[in-house]
Amino acid sequence: MSVDGETSSHVGFDATEHQATYIYTPGSSDRPQKRRKLNGSSAVEHDDALRSKINFVPLLNGLENEKSVHVRRELYDKFWLDTESQIEGILNEANERTLAEVTEPLDYVPTGFVVTGPNIASQGLLFNQLSGHLISQINGPVVTLRSGDASNFKAVLKRLIRDATNQSPNEEDEEGEGLSLGQKGRKLLPYDLELLHNYVTLHGSERVIVSIQDSEAFDGAVLTDLITLLHSWRDRIPFVLLFGIATSVDLFHDRLSRRATRCVFGAQFDVEQTSSIVERVFTKVVISADARLRLGSALVSSLMERQYDHVQSVQAFIAALKYSYMCHFYANPLAVFLGMSDDPKAVRKVLQDEHFEALRNLPSFRLRIQDLLEQNEPDYARKLLEDDEKLLEEAMVSMNTRDHSIRDILRALHVLASSSKVLSVNVQLFMEAFTGSIYDSGTITKVINAIKRMGPEPLRETMQRIIEAIQEGNKELGLDPWDDEAADFVQSMKDIQVQTEKLVEEADEANVPIRSKYSAQHKVLRTTVIAQKVQLSHDSAKLSPHDVEFTSLVDRLIELLRNYFTIISPQNDFMNEIWLYDYRSPYRDVFTPRPRFVIERALSAPHEYIDTSIEELSSAKPATALLYEMYLENGSLINVFDLWSAFSHQMSSDDDDGNNERETLALFYRALADLKSLGMVKHSKKKTDHLAKLAWKGL
Amino acid sequence: MASLFSLPNEVLLANVAAQFPGRAVQARHLATLFSLRSASCRALVVHGLEATGKSAITRALLEGLCESSSVQHRRSSNGASQAGLLYAIIDSRECITGRHLLEQVIGAVAKAVGYTGNIRRCENITQLVVELRKLIEWWCSPDPELAQMRSFVLVFDGIDRQREAPPTLLPALARLGELIPCLTAVFIVTLPRPHFLHMNGVPYIHFPIYSKSEAVQIVSNTSPTPELPTGPEDTKAFWNRFCSAVWDSLSKHAGRDILSFRTICLRLWPSFVAPVLDGTYGPKDFGRVLVFKRSLFQDERILVPSIVPRTDANLIYKQQGVGTQLPYFSRLVLVASYLSSFNRPVTDHIHFMKGAVSRRRKKGGGTALSRDHNGVAKSRKISRKLLGPQAFVLERMLAIFQTIKQDADDRGRVGGWRRNRPLGLAGDADIQSAIATLASLRLLVKQGGANSADTLDGGSKWRVAVGWDFVRAIARSIGVEVEDYLAE
Repeated sequence: MSVDGETSSHVGFDATEHQATYIYTPGSSDRPQKRRKLNGSSAVEHDDALRSKINFVPLLNGLENEKSVHVRRELYDKFWLDTESQIEGILNEANERTLAEVTEPLDYVPTGFVVTGPNIASQGLLFNQLSGHLISQINGPVVTLRSGDASNFKAVLKRLIRDATNQSPNEEDEEGEGLSLGQKGRKLLPYDLELLHNYVTLHGSERVIVSIQDSEAFDGAVLTDLITLLHSWRDRIPFVLLFGIATSVDLFHDRLSRRATRCVFGAQFDVEQTSSIVERVFTKVVISADARLRLGSALVSSLMERQYDHVQSVQAFIAALKYSYMCHFYANPLAVFLGMSDDPKAVRKVLQDEHFEALRNLPSFRLRIQDLLEQNEPDYARKLLEDDEKLLEEAMVSMNTRDHSIRDILRALHVLASSSKVLSVNVQLFMEAFTGSIYDSGTITKVINAIKRMGPEPLRETMQRIIEAIQEGNKELGLDPWDDEAADFVQSMKDIQVQTEKLVEEADEANVPIRSKYSAQHKVLRTTVIAQKVQLSHDSAKLSPHDVEFTSLVDRLIELLRNYFTIISPQNDFMNEIWLYDYRSPYRDVFTPRPRFVIERALSAPHEYIDTSIEELSSAKPATALLYEMYLENGSLINVFDLWSAFSHQMSSDDDDGNNERETLALFYRALADLKSLGMVKHSKKKTDHLAKLAWKGL
Repeated sequence: MASLFSLPNEVLLANVAAQFPGRAVQARHLATLFSLRSASCRALVVHGLEATGKSAITRALLEGLCESSSVQHRRSSNGASQAGLLYAIIDSRECITGRHLLEQVIGAVAKAVGYTGNIRRCENITQLVVELRKLIEWWCSPDPELAQMRSFVLVFDGIDRQREAPPTLLPALARLGELIPCLTAVFIVTLPRPHFLHMNGVPYIHFPIYSKSEAVQIVSNTSPTPELPTGPEDTKAFWNRFCSAVWDSLSKHAGRDILSFRTICLRLWPSFVAPVLDGTYGPKDFGRVLVFKRSLFQDERILVPSIVPRTDANLIYKQQGVGTQLPYFSRLVLVASYLSSFNRPVTDHIHFMKGAVSRRRKKGGGTALSRDHNGVAKSRKISRKLLGPQAFVLERMLAIFQTIKQDADDRGRVGGWRRNRPLGLAGDADIQSAIATLASLRLLVKQGGANSADTLDGGSKWRVAVGWDFVRAIARSIGVEVEDYLAE
């Protein structure tokens, strides 16, 4: 393999970066520019400049015109910003509740324990918001301490004092010096809380809030010292302590010393758990009618799975979602069609022949043609195949029907959920409906059976709930009230409701209970003894005229609902490739790397990675791979000499020259150094001339 | 001039004795040793257990002496406004390093004598002596002939708990009185080691712990909230009897010191007087309330100080706990870590190897089942659970993790989702990050120095930091029975 070939195959990839040695050729005599610190505004400009510079690559074999590329880029920006702002809204709302909860009782509680749950990634965001909120609410400094900058007690105190006294933005330097001088010209040590005391008296602060973001990660001794010290200063500095706790207050308590325990007593605040926030974000961006890009069931289930099995972090989920959007708009040239619902003319302008050709190559287009042929409309099918304008029309129609069919699904699900007490519209239910597997899972049948067995009063309530659901819609799902469109349905519901009420009244007057023939009490178990044998038989009790009438009402309702719950899966509709993104592998490759697995695999099966067309390499493995094989065969202690003799034997048997021992030894050393740098072996203290095995395969 | 010797002021002593019941003797001793015209000394050790009134009484006495001496002095020296006795108290709890202590001493002394000049930095004990002498001399300078009648008391509160104290600190401080005229150093310590000042002839004053009557008397001085509806007098009587009852039932055996006794009383009080407040019983029915609320005095949980108000909601929360919030595989990693910490590596092949016949290796000639004839093991074995968690190698934990993963059912996971990934998690970065997360939550603890090696190095040693109950609950939530894998 030539070096030239390698460099030319990776355009834009600095090959020298991965070479052990290379010839340094200074490009120009200019000295490299020094990095200048960028302040906020110029950083933003820089970002904008970058955004305009890095553009999408033209697709369709490079034939895609610039405008179309630009449209895709713009669509991506617009769609993602929409989605992002929705998510941000949810996150802010969730934290807002916590913030209000935490701020309010701090007036009388000296200590707060904010139980954040084990998702450490979101702690930073929460505490940032918290300190921002507290600064605006409370007269006094707010300091957030993290375990990272708390190597020892002195460092924590220094940081605490520095952060607290640097808080007023317009403070002049002279004042800072005045603080450090303390009383009568005595210079105070940087970790002396007297500094903070001076600051507090100078500014008349009512409270000094010290929030400890990741209490668990703090060293126990440091935390104890800090708590006792702040406690002993409380008569002079009005400290309020906030602990961020990821596990539970009890575990935290166990870790505190008794001395420190006596100093803290306060209230516990529970932050909304990540799982419920994730659930809401999912509902908003995956299910809701406003979702811009649909994610397919395979991807969504992958996302969900990783959320619950591994990370449980909103940030990770948002990143994955963003990546999906990026992939879709970057790699799918037909994504421009998504802009049609907003501005069809602009999209029409950028479309070119290749777009239509690509559209005709979609699997869903083929299905559509087949459908047309089956429906005996060959003329229309031919037109679609030949006439671009006709195809465009069809595409627009199908984009619109897509919106409708998704909305219909959501409506049906919303009604379904409101007619059952246990069901709610979640991702799982939606995905079942979306892929059309909702019938197989029996969810609808269960709900209908439950309704069948209801007495008159629960039945009336259920109907009321359904009608309300239609009249009110659901904001989270992005559903507006749709009682105009479903006027027939609502009307017949109301009819049944009125009739049921009438029936109940009549029955009340006659003082008889009503039940339908489906109710459980209706079935009677009868035992008969015939010829000394006991026979059990199910028998239905006689129906009164009221019961018969009620049963017919129930039947009508069931019929009505069953019709309403007819859900057509839009998954395989024409043009689904454009609005549906359902590829798991990019996500998996980017977000769930398996570094160790890959290294082990590369070492045990190097031929999969090395160009096997070259004769030499196909016969023999690289030295490291060979050594790795022997390494795996060894126990936990490896005798180096044995390893060497096995290695040299293997190499010499492969080699024709045989007696090139020095070269083999060099290879051996290099291979061993490779294994060592991968963290697989180290010197053992147990036995001389032995190596300790550190890594086993497949873990 | 009056006589050289006089006893301390009785009025002052009577005041202090009234303020601090049961401490009249100690107060008299202290006053004698502090006063200018009695047996004043150069160094003094005040010792006694926590919450026995050492600091409070010293401070109150010094305050009183300072005031009265300034009155006396003014009379004798025709209106000179300076006190004959000054004091400074340095609380070691607030001194972060030994150097900080020295700085604090200088600062406090300068403040007490009203020195306004510039003060140099005080980096070691020698400099302290020089600076202190300068300050004291400055203080005595206006009328040097009266220097004999002046005294400065320097109190080191809790000096035995000083952080980062140099070893020579205590002996050097004890000799301050010898080096600087009219300075008395007082050391307030909990338990003095014998000869800890390396100096002879230092008077020790011991503060014994309070007896029942004293403790009850002290605590009954605090006024409880809420008050009884019938007025403060009834409240007082009720509170007195209540304190006595609490002492007999709870504090006598645990938490005898005043602070915890008072905390317990105050914490129990609201629920104890609840039946009186809602009118079920009258304020005179102490006995009946006591019987009605006897469960309060039987519940010993109150003795363990808690950091949040104890409510039933907490209990529910505790049951749900962090276990349900951790991701599925983090829980599994935690269980695997527990098993690796509490199982001996030797027994791993019995518990975790699939279908392996347990190899019995004979060592030292004996058989594996070598026992005494009586059937009693030679060395008594202590249960691993009692020995505490042992360190394990990361690689071993990963191996155990892979084994128990196959047995765990999907109970703790999101229901209904297609398991579209065969659970081959070998070498997955997510597992590594789960370990790192658990470590930063301190559910797993890395052994050795923090920077000793790569955190996720296969050879690094770890230890689990959660208990049996916690792990069992977590394991059940993911469908693993830990008992099945745990060696006896």
